[in-house]
Amino acid sequence: MNTVKGLAKLTLQLAALAASSFAATWTAAATLVNVTEGQGNATSSSNPSWDGLSELVLIPGASLLGPSSSATAIYLGFTGGSIVNVGNMVLYATPRNGSTVVGVTKVTLGASQSPSIDLASKSVCAVTPSPTSPCIVRLDTVNLALSPLKDYYFAIYFTLDTNNQSIAGMGQSAARGALSGFNLYGDQTRVGVDGALPTFENSDAAPFFVAYVANE
Amino acid sequence: MKILFKMAALAIVTISVSAPRSAAAAAAAAENLVRGIIGPVGSNTSWSGYSAVSKIPGAGLIPVTSETTVFYLGFTAGTRADIKNMVLYTTARGGSTITAVTPVKLGGVSDPSIDLASPSVCPVVEISTYNPCIVRLDPTSITLSALNDYYLVVYFTSGDSNNESVGVTQPIFSQTSLTGSDQAADDSRLTVRDAIPNLSYSSASFLLMYVMTD
Repeated sequence: MNTVKGLAKLTLQLAALAASSFAATWTAAATLVNVTEGQGNATSSSNPSWDGLSELVLIPGASLLGPSSSATAIYLGFTGGSIVNVGNMVLYATPRNGSTVVGVTKVTLGASQSPSIDLASKSVCAVTPSPTSPCIVRLDTVNLALSPLKDYYFAIYFTLDTNNQSIAGMGQSAARGALSGFNLYGDQTRVGVDGALPTFENSDAAPFFVAYVANE
Repeated sequence: MKILFKMAALAIVTISVSAPRSAAAAAAAAENLVRGIIGPVGSNTSWSGYSAVSKIPGAGLIPVTSETTVFYLGFTAGTRADIKNMVLYTTARGGSTITAVTPVKLGGVSDPSIDLASPSVCPVVEISTYNPCIVRLDPTSITLSALNDYYLVVYFTSGDSNNESVGVTQPIFSQTSLTGSDQAADDSRLTVRDAIPNLSYSSASFLLMYVMTD
């Protein structure tokens, strides 16, 4: 009987240990962690008129930090404008340092790939966006684990309308972290698998809109 | 007795479930040890008799511990690269005196001839700046320390016509921890207490693209 009690006690202790281990894992998973180094400050300089323009932002596999996360969240930073009309958003995957698309993943906000973002709404931006108080908009989490063996390009197209003429992104920060961006005329979000990315501008500059890339 | 067996089984299941499976799985996936070369690359050709010297600064290490270190080289042109020797020098952080020399290998040798025309080596046969060929060297049994700096030297055989047409990656974007230079000499024969090659390490490195756990 003593043996049975001893085993029961051991079993309970092991179960408790396992439960605490899971709890620790869940706590860690719930912590926001940078997937790569994002932009350190907002300058909001040199924004073009964004109507009819796309921005492509390189998230290099060679800059990914630590173990990969099962999900990826992209954060956009706005410093001006009232309504942002997005035509489409995707995340391209290419081989590291390559330019041939090997994967395309939809990116959404509120489950829409073409959201209209109301920057004047207090529920979206607590304070009016400005270079000193950028409005950070978290896009829907993408169920994709970024691999250090690939590069990724986030592409966003701003539709040709008057609202987009007055929007501004938080870049181009001098403290840009690992992110690089460039903007191009037209909708650059429609490249399919095996297609080639638009020619690099080789701008080696910080993005305008992508501020951070995190695990949630 | 049945109760005993059931409890023992429960204990085993409990232990197996709580074992750090995710850690094991994570360890198996390649992770960056430093920020590598990012973005589009250019090409730098004609390497016969040249050494590519790349600095891996301890100050740039991402806090990921690994018992092995894997170097990845990038090629943009040529059909065969004839390498005479590859080594990794260790110095104190910010120092210039070599404290250790570690052989670096591909296919078990430090003087490999890399067939860049082989699809098994370079999946995209016609390598270019748009499709650079990334060659993974054998894992080197060294744990990089933040207290040291490291220098990878790859010396290309001199008087070798293959190496005249070899092109290696030349970074365009500057956001990397890897810097380096090149020299028309065999810099791979230095020994402990020698000084590292006196070169400029202010530009992003040629050839060396990534340093990873696997």
